[in-house]
Amino acid sequence: MSTVTESRAAAGMAGFEATTNRWGRVTMMIGLALSLIGPVYVAFFTGMDLAAQQIWLAFIGVAAAFGVLWVLEPVTYFPILGSSAMYQAFMIGNISNKLLPAAIVAQSSIGAKAGTRRGDLTAVMAICGAATVHLVSLLVFVGFLGTWLISVIPSDVIEVARLYILPSVLGAVLVQAVVTMRQLRPTLIAVGLSLLFLFVVVPAFPTLGLFATAIVVVLAIALSWLLRDRNRHTGRPADATTESQP
Amino acid sequence: MIHRPLPTAADPASTDILALANSPVVWFCAFGVFAVIFVQTFIYMKAARRAGPEIGMETREVMGAYRAGAVASVGPSLAVVLVAIALLALFGTPAVLVRIGLIGSAAAETASAGIAANSVGATLGGPDYTQQVFALSFIVMSLSGAMWMLATLILTPILKRGSSSLARVNPAAMAIIPCAALLGAFSMLTIAELPKSAVHAVTVGVSAAVMAGCLFLARTLKAHWLKEWALGIAIVVALFTAYFAHTL
Repeated sequence: MSTVTESRAAAGMAGFEATTNRWGRVTMMIGLALSLIGPVYVAFFTGMDLAAQQIWLAFIGVAAAFGVLWVLEPVTYFPILGSSAMYQAFMIGNISNKLLPAAIVAQSSIGAKAGTRRGDLTAVMAICGAATVHLVSLLVFVGFLGTWLISVIPSDVIEVARLYILPSVLGAVLVQAVVTMRQLRPTLIAVGLSLLFLFVVVPAFPTLGLFATAIVVVLAIALSWLLRDRNRHTGRPADATTESQP
Repeated sequence: MIHRPLPTAADPASTDILALANSPVVWFCAFGVFAVIFVQTFIYMKAARRAGPEIGMETREVMGAYRAGAVASVGPSLAVVLVAIALLALFGTPAVLVRIGLIGSAAAETASAGIAANSVGATLGGPDYTQQVFALSFIVMSLSGAMWMLATLILTPILKRGSSSLARVNPAAMAIIPCAALLGAFSMLTIAELPKSAVHAVTVGVSAAVMAGCLFLARTLKAHWLKEWALGIAIVVALFTAYFAHTL
């Protein structure tokens, strides 16, 4: 490639990055604001009698469980997505199960290598395609069809579904997490700590209540780190063997 | 007594969640998030089509990438739709569209909502799951999702500069810490469901078994689509089992 086309390509890509980074940030900030206006309205402007203190307490409980992931997930995905796609991915969601596969499929069908300019542009366009399909299918099948479905299902069925949805989601999610990560020691540590806290520590010290999850998360991280297999090769992306099949 | 019409059938003690969850303001904001993502997609596509020829990519190839991404995401999108429909009764359509369908994930959002409900001594979806508890769950899971976005907004420019120590985090630590955090949170939440009732315990067991079965079949049959659908299938089968166990 001659220097003229190389500099032209560099300039073209720089322009692309400047546009997408600026507008990616702006759209994400608007999305962030819109995603908060709805719940703030429900919590404070419909006479729900919610005290700020209740919200803080609940938020601390959630922060204890997921706070580490708030920071580590963006750091984990950055090298794979690049800065432009970061602003798409964390607003559209479903990164590992939809956006990344879409990007990889598109790169292989176009014949663009990941990490090159062609690869980056292909990944962004593939995520655009995935976003379009996702938004349309959500609007049609959940927005219209789902709302209709809820209105025709008998209310006693809905009530039972509502009562047992959490255990229905969690059982599967735990198995999925264990199988996908394939980390034997952290799994045993996490499950062992949970059993210990739920059936021994919390019954003995009921005041612990909400903070039990926080303590288990912190202890699981600390023990998994201290008891890690120091001979194991690291850097293997999660689920590499099954993801790489054609 | 002054008769004042409320914008929604709002009553903190009512268990009619959908009356509050379907309030026009919440619907409006949900459509707003959709519109913002559409606009973002449009801007990105325009920028990519302009940059394509500069880097030696034909417009045909750029649009080919768009089409490939769209086709590849049909299956995963419908799998998300199935999970979202299962959660409609709990959060109402607009909240599910934004929280489960878009920004968050079914796992993190329902878990956050469960933690929020527990913090006031209520059970998510239980007889004490009132409008007030829904309002608390909704704002807490939205704040949690907002933290992911905030972290992205703050960290992306820092990571882009590449000078940050975050980019040089020990790879061994990056392999273990997120896994341990996720496993700790979800094993604690899942095991806490077991003692609630016999039906809860059965539901967790069925859901876990169906997921394990799907993942096993996906691997032995090399059926990648089954991995995408596993969560939806597990939730639906577990809910059916719970319904029959509950009504027996």
